[in-house]
Amino acid sequence: MEGRPLDEQELVEQARGGDARAYEVLVRRYQDLAFRTACVIAGGSADAEDAAQEGFVKAWYALPRFRAGSPFRPWLLTIVANEARNRRRSGRRQDDLALRVAEDRPSGDAAPSPEAAALATEQRRLLLAAMGRLGEHDRQVIACRYFLELSEAEMAAALGCRPGTVKSRLSRALDRLRAVLAEQGAAAAPTTLPGGDR
Amino acid sequence: MSRRELDLDRALADLAASLEFPPTPDLAAAVTARLDQDPVAARPARGRRWLGGLSGWRRLAVAGLAVALLAVAVLAASPGTREAVARRLGLRGIGVELGGPPPSTATTTSGGRLDLGLGERVTLEEARRRVSFPVLVPHTGGLERPDAVFVSEVVPPGGRVDLVWRARPGLPASGFTDAGLLITEFRGQTTPEFIKKVAVAGQVEFLEVDGEPAYWFSGEPHFFTYRDSAGTFREEQTRLAGNTLIWQRGELTLRLEGELSKEEALRIAESMR
Repeated sequence: MEGRPLDEQELVEQARGGDARAYEVLVRRYQDLAFRTACVIAGGSADAEDAAQEGFVKAWYALPRFRAGSPFRPWLLTIVANEARNRRRSGRRQDDLALRVAEDRPSGDAAPSPEAAALATEQRRLLLAAMGRLGEHDRQVIACRYFLELSEAEMAAALGCRPGTVKSRLSRALDRLRAVLAEQGAAAAPTTLPGGDR
Repeated sequence: MSRRELDLDRALADLAASLEFPPTPDLAAAVTARLDQDPVAARPARGRRWLGGLSGWRRLAVAGLAVALLAVAVLAASPGTREAVARRLGLRGIGVELGGPPPSTATTTSGGRLDLGLGERVTLEEARRRVSFPVLVPHTGGLERPDAVFVSEVVPPGGRVDLVWRARPGLPASGFTDAGLLITEFRGQTTPEFIKKVAVAGQVEFLEVDGEPAYWFSGEPHFFTYRDSAGTFREEQTRLAGNTLIWQRGELTLRLEGELSKEEALRIAESMR
């Protein structure tokens, strides 16, 4: 996550006062976060776009009720995630996260041989596929933590749960992911993944 | 075990680094364009000048008043509107007026005593077939099956469903009928609008249901206006003359009426799915 520029509170305050240009700056700053969070919750990118846009519009109208000085991100995520959930509830259900693994990304450490790179890509695909076999809530909590890198408060906002329950939800979801991986067999075992501790 | 935990943690972080989300659309432009189209939202410069001394909240309230007065003019034929405007807040989809006597047509009881003049009586399944939105029901307190269901397909566009529960322990009868709880669902405006609320101060509270705005009206009977999915301003009165909770769920507008406490109403509202 990027450090928060100092003027976020000022922007929020100006937007609260009715300054649509200040709000546009805020939207630009958080549109990636909002859209990706909506992707994770709604499943499909069309629904996510719709949800994120609607969320930003609703947030504008709700700004008068925003408590000055409180963090903006969780507040925004609550509204966007709620829109995304409504679309998932009523619309076509998509059971993947609409995400894909990039082909050619090096894993980070030493430059891998082409064979190792291909293997790493395949293993990432297997891990993503294993996540796809989890229930909706498990998938979402893992994605919020690892793919969106949300804080606990932000995860609670996105998932619509109490902050105190985030940790245990994540831990249960990881247990189930581990079980799915074990079922998939040794080829997908996390110890063989790049960077795995030996 | 702890090594495996670490490994999965690393593997997920590694996956995250090579994951591709769909490209983010230009939401800032889209959102700004939508706000620009809304005459009430696009008022910052003027709002500054003549409302500069007020907080954002009050500024919105006062800015909305002009629109409120217009709405009242439209509704001037109704007896309840005359003294109704005390304040107005910009919120999505609903206009509400409190105060003044309820219109004389309130609580018509033409048929059975659960018939509140609500349209055609059907089964829940039938109602679900006939409207264009998913009909939600409470999942608490044995309220999963309404005692009566009414559907109206004509007004507003997209249809409207009224769910009625007979009075029972925990659901006191309203003063007029045997009904203890009425929930109405219809599609509100699909593009967000500055939704209008006109209320006499002191009888309305602003709440949230699932993170979306909600309004709690207590005390005397009221009627309200809303914008339907075609953008038409419509007028409605409450039926049970009890307390009322109105909230949004996505594009749905929901209204819950009964002699319930705020906490009971919120519990029911939050259980709707």
